Amino acid sequence: MATDPRPRTLTSAVRVFDLSLGQMLWSRRSLFLGVLLGGPVLLAVALRAVATVFPAGFRVNGAEPAGASVFGFMIWLLYIRIIIPLLGVFYGTALIADEVDDKTITYLFTRPIPRRAVLLGKYFAYLVCTVLLVLPSVMLVFFLVVPTGGTTIAQVFPSLVSDFGMLIAGLSAYGALFAFVGTRIKRPLIVGLVFAFGWEPAVVLSPGYLKRLTVAYYLQALVRHEQPSDSPVSMLLQVFREVPSVATSLVALAVIVLLALWAAGHAVEHREYVLEQ
Amino acid sequence: MTARTRYFVIVSLLVLGVGLGTGLVAYYVGIPQSPFSRHAGPPELQYVPRDAAILAFANVQEIMHSDLRQKLHQAVPGGENGQAELQTLTGINLETDVLRVVACAYPNASTTNMSGDGMVLATGTFDETKIEALMREHGAQVEDYKGTRLLVTGVSGTQPRRFALSFFEPGLVALGTSDIIRAAVDVHRSGDNPQSGTPSVLGNEELMTLVRGLDTGNNAWAVGRFDVLTSHAKLPPNISTQLPAITWFSVAAHVNGGLRGTLRAETRDADAAKNLHDVINGFLALGRMQAGSRPAIQAMMQSLQLGGDEKSVSLSFDVPAQVFDAIHH
Repeated sequence: MATDPRPRTLTSAVRVFDLSLGQMLWSRRSLFLGVLLGGPVLLAVALRAVATVFPAGFRVNGAEPAGASVFGFMIWLLYIRIIIPLLGVFYGTALIADEVDDKTITYLFTRPIPRRAVLLGKYFAYLVCTVLLVLPSVMLVFFLVVPTGGTTIAQVFPSLVSDFGMLIAGLSAYGALFAFVGTRIKRPLIVGLVFAFGWEPAVVLSPGYLKRLTVAYYLQALVRHEQPSDSPVSMLLQVFREVPSVATSLVALAVIVLLALWAAGHAVEHREYVLEQ
Repeated sequence: MTARTRYFVIVSLLVLGVGLGTGLVAYYVGIPQSPFSRHAGPPELQYVPRDAAILAFANVQEIMHSDLRQKLHQAVPGGENGQAELQTLTGINLETDVLRVVACAYPNASTTNMSGDGMVLATGTFDETKIEALMREHGAQVEDYKGTRLLVTGVSGTQPRRFALSFFEPGLVALGTSDIIRAAVDVHRSGDNPQSGTPSVLGNEELMTLVRGLDTGNNAWAVGRFDVLTSHAKLPPNISTQLPAITWFSVAAHVNGGLRGTLRAETRDADAAKNLHDVINGFLALGRMQAGSRPAIQAMMQSLQLGGDEKSVSLSFDVPAQVFDAIHH
């Protein structure tokens, strides 16, 4: 009986993952990732130093804010609104586009492996790379900020665990979506940035059903911290905030991931990549 | 996977593992506060059980050595009798031995009268042997509670109570009703662990938010649940129905040459805050009229400032040293 000489998709994806993880971690993009994730940690170190050195601690409007509130504020403003979408855009769009730009896609596609395995392997490498960098960063911020201002680690720990789940869900959804964008569109980075920082904030801010066509709508429903009301935009967000249930959000994010990966895999299998000479 | 990628993955997983492990231990077992972590209020709050109806603090040394206290001491020389009596009974010289005091009170949930539980935590320099001997002379007995030595004494009367004294740490004495002293031991032993059912007041976010607001710039403060206290006070119905809908109250003062402070009431809703604001404003107007030509009273009335926000009313005052001089003379 004749057997298919081409390895199965999952086995091939694992090989691509093994190769891509190292490339992704030690690339120039990782420097940007380090700066992006080092920022909140440095801010947390500064806040902790102020709280430890000065008896009055760090004060807002004359009162010392609870460490749990500061941590929630940082999760909302830094991780959910900036870091997670930005990582999704930069890494997700680059999964295939970088190989095309570097003209190395031919080497991958001439191997005896399914083309979608290349995308899947690179997607898993992106996920592991970002998760292994983002979660320790959040963990450090948590242990630096939470014990200030009267809160204890024990009180806030359950929300840290749910934050981890939410961040992994966000990285998965944004990564899959922008991986699809990277396989279909010529200038994926610009489209990705416009989507993450133009379309999403504008639509989430407005009333109506269009917000359901964003990742942020479902992701923000998983956040247990109180949404900060630091600016008129945030206040508008609170007014028009329509929160889907956790189950709905998880199902919606899973659908986004699966659909986007399937569509991206389909595009990679059928598209003819013409390398510029 | 190259060696440095493998090391990166290991280090990253190690950070996550250690962090999650520490968090789980804190959540299920409880960990003591680290020396580098600082909470609002004095460190003794880690012994205070969570649901205190009243929590108060005084920096005894600052108050005792303040100019205002010296003036009052000269004006009312007989005031040291209580101090001398305390020294005879316990060997504690309030002026030199006690640094600061934290007090808390808990209404008795089973009754509607005011007799509840309470505890005073005093930090300073104490002669433990002398205090224990004096307590034993007054009939106190030594009990062991989970490895902590308690000196327990009973007080007879219409409502017999048991009081206890214990040295939680060198230089930290706790004195109060026996049940609360035992609860304080439990709170400290559990390391403020919510899972053990004995969390400290540090986990009472509502109360600690108020404490954070009072902690800086004041050498004495008190905060309490007004609604809990009034529900346990035997007030006639026509008075209790007229009371404003206050949930929390707080008093903070800085005692030095003069007296500066703020009284604050958190109300149930915006209407209650507005009503309370109007009532106090009326009293202030009346007070200013009554002050007449007495400059000391006039100065004091002028220092009163009414403020607040949507659901709170605050009254701040700043009585300068000259006012006390004028009253004294």
